Amino acid sequence: MAKASQKSVVPGISFVQELDGISEYRLESNGLRILLSPDTSVPVAGCMITYHVGSRNEATGYTGATHLLEHLLFKGSTNFNKENHKTAWELLEAKGAHVNASTWFDRTNYYAVFPSELLPDAVALEADRMRNAFLTEEDRSGEMPIVRNEFERGENLPAEALDKQVWATAFQAHPYHTSTIGWRSDIEQVSIERLQQFYNDFYWPNNATVTIAGNFDVRETLALVKKEFGVHPKSPMPFPAMYTDEPKQEGQRRTTVHRAGVNMIAIAHKTPEGNHEDIPALLMLSLILSEDKTSRLYKALVDNAKATDASIYCWQLHDPALFEAFVTLAPKTTHEQAEKIVLAEYEKIIQKGVKTAELARIKRMVRTYFATRRDGPYAFLSSLNEDLATGDWTRFVTLPEALQKVTSKDIQRVAKKYLVKDQSTIGWFINTAV
Amino acid sequence: MKNITSSITELEHAGMRLFAARTGTKDVVSMEGSMYGGWNMLPLTKSEVPEMVTELFDAGTAKKSKDTIREALGARGVSISFSAGGDRTYFSASCLPEDISFALQTIVECLTEATFPITEIKSAKARTLGDLIEEKSETRSVASTALSRMLYDSEHVNFAETIEERKKSVAGITRADLLAFRKTLGQGGLIFSITGDISPESTLKTALKILSKLPKGTTAVPEKHMNTKKQTFQTKTVHITDKANIDVYIGMTMPFTYESKLYRPFMLLSELLAGAGFTSHLVKTIRERDGLTYTIRSIPSGFSDKADGSLKVWATFSPSIYEKSIAMLKKEISNFLNQEITLSNLRARQVEMIGGYEVGLSTSRGLASMLHKVGIEGKQLSYVDEYPELIQAVTLEELQEVAKLISVDRMSLAAAGTFTK
Repeated sequence: MAKASQKSVVPGISFVQELDGISEYRLESNGLRILLSPDTSVPVAGCMITYHVGSRNEATGYTGATHLLEHLLFKGSTNFNKENHKTAWELLEAKGAHVNASTWFDRTNYYAVFPSELLPDAVALEADRMRNAFLTEEDRSGEMPIVRNEFERGENLPAEALDKQVWATAFQAHPYHTSTIGWRSDIEQVSIERLQQFYNDFYWPNNATVTIAGNFDVRETLALVKKEFGVHPKSPMPFPAMYTDEPKQEGQRRTTVHRAGVNMIAIAHKTPEGNHEDIPALLMLSLILSEDKTSRLYKALVDNAKATDASIYCWQLHDPALFEAFVTLAPKTTHEQAEKIVLAEYEKIIQKGVKTAELARIKRMVRTYFATRRDGPYAFLSSLNEDLATGDWTRFVTLPEALQKVTSKDIQRVAKKYLVKDQSTIGWFINTAV
Repeated sequence: MKNITSSITELEHAGMRLFAARTGTKDVVSMEGSMYGGWNMLPLTKSEVPEMVTELFDAGTAKKSKDTIREALGARGVSISFSAGGDRTYFSASCLPEDISFALQTIVECLTEATFPITEIKSAKARTLGDLIEEKSETRSVASTALSRMLYDSEHVNFAETIEERKKSVAGITRADLLAFRKTLGQGGLIFSITGDISPESTLKTALKILSKLPKGTTAVPEKHMNTKKQTFQTKTVHITDKANIDVYIGMTMPFTYESKLYRPFMLLSELLAGAGFTSHLVKTIRERDGLTYTIRSIPSGFSDKADGSLKVWATFSPSIYEKSIAMLKKEISNFLNQEITLSNLRARQVEMIGGYEVGLSTSRGLASMLHKVGIEGKQLSYVDEYPELIQAVTLEELQEVAKLISVDRMSLAAAGTFTK
């Protein structure tokens, strides 16, 4: 429970809730959400601002816009720019801060981890570029080739090329169809006006969360956030809604990438949104299948050298996503063989469930893993940020608890419910260099 | 920066150095360790033996099957890993505080009793050969190998083998090779660090008790000869089909090791040239001003194991602007050496490195890694606190002395990707 003193430390900022050392506040004037997690055991602090906008909010012609915009926000704003030598690099990185940003399907974030005395500068910079970024054509045209090279680097990787095709095949209507980096032609040709509109649509305090972790004073920090972000009004218009639902998939889909690289397969099944009640069981299923050398896919594929790697990603996104297996084939293994082996392992769980000892083992691993999310400000901020992106930051605390409650029956039930042929998309990367 | 050393406990016993520090993160324990024994101690034909040994440490011991070992680790949520190096074999682990003894006992059991069953060797060979085939199409890896082969004489520890040579080495590995190498690992040169939710003194006593069960092991590492290859401009391009991006390495060797007084100025120079982040010269010019690349980094390379290493710059370029990008890259390296080594730039980078050092030590893993490094490099524990002062003490004259050793005209260049006309 929150202490009474936490509830009204700074006028104009309301206390919302506290969970496991994380306190949520709201800046009343504009709706900015603030999350604070003080930790005096470290001499550093971190600040991350998460905008609830990602490639999910893009459409044809401006795919990759969220990511390109992320790059442009480092080009300067009214009070923090090259001319006054107060870019993020000069202001923060030059004093030792680790500064960066990232874009994903449902969110964009900007962050820095720094010696604690830099917190006022970090907050002031984020507040300024929230509404006052320059976003000029000169900056767009200069940054575009850099982003295009980032795209090209990704295309060099067989797994990334295959992954893009699998998502594009599994999702036909929903924007998860397109990778966050966007399509090459859109990266090259999107106009600065479109990017400015995107910024003006989504970069508002009531569409953002500021999270601060590490060594700082709560009262001073709330006052700082109010001072810097309080100058912005809330959005004058409703945020453009993303209302496209993916139509029901009616049969298995297949896609292939013929390219020099390495033979791989991907097998993806549709799953519900990140905060759905079945996600904890699906996550445990994914770990039982591929977490370590005791996992089922490791034993069925890697241990006997039929594959060099086997991994499963149970994506937890704002909207329904994928349960996605990737297998890198050993030279003598065919795509058909690997596909059959993965699906046979799925079928075993559908038919017979998982062993109690298997589940207990994964629960212990999960406990170890979740502890590391508090090891330093960056680990905390980045992990909490992904929970925020699903629409509910409290899952940072509640998900570990939910995972411990998952039963063998839950896992068998979700395997039977979601790992069905009609809802699958299978991708093959076929190495043409042999 | 506050005094860190006061919160670290150190123990030395029979040549082993152990470090422990408590950090504020509940339930997190990070361990890092290493001992003498690596591919520098083996003939070139056996160079892949240490990698396979570390891959198969948990594939069965005299007392336990691989399933018993792996399931016991999993049941406690303990993660251990081993890796091979030139002079050393490394291990790391993460676990809950109550499992420290178990994790260490398992590490010691793997190190002393791994049996390397024939069936496991066969599988490991097949996996490694698969990885090597994949590596043939990895542009960055191919370019890096090509540069190392141009920079060093073939007897130098940093001279990279080709994939075909590595495949041959893997194919020739026998169980006897693996057992023989395993027996070289022990207390010799052992460095161990443990950080996190621990009681440092009692944890170190426990760790010492368990690690003392290791045999004596290798007690010395081979002397390294300095590179004899004259640094002249050479170029190597490797065409790999279907690649949207070209990976480029440009670099030259340095005539000193990390024990040299020039090493710290060299690190600062490398950071100024193209260190992490966005304040370095090549990032500001090649990336930010010219828009030619997404990634450009300067990497001091090959200095571990007291070898003379090199300065390498890694960059990625679109095939369509490759020639222009290379010309600009060379020009800006030259501009940097001639114009950018100034007192103000040095001072600015010193501030950045010192601040970044504090950030890097703020996690259990970061601190464990630093303590392990202190041990490997044979430094006093006080080095952890002195490091910022040592960085601050680097002078412009020292930086200029290092810069005189570097010339873009003597740098070699390796690139891999799909080259268009």
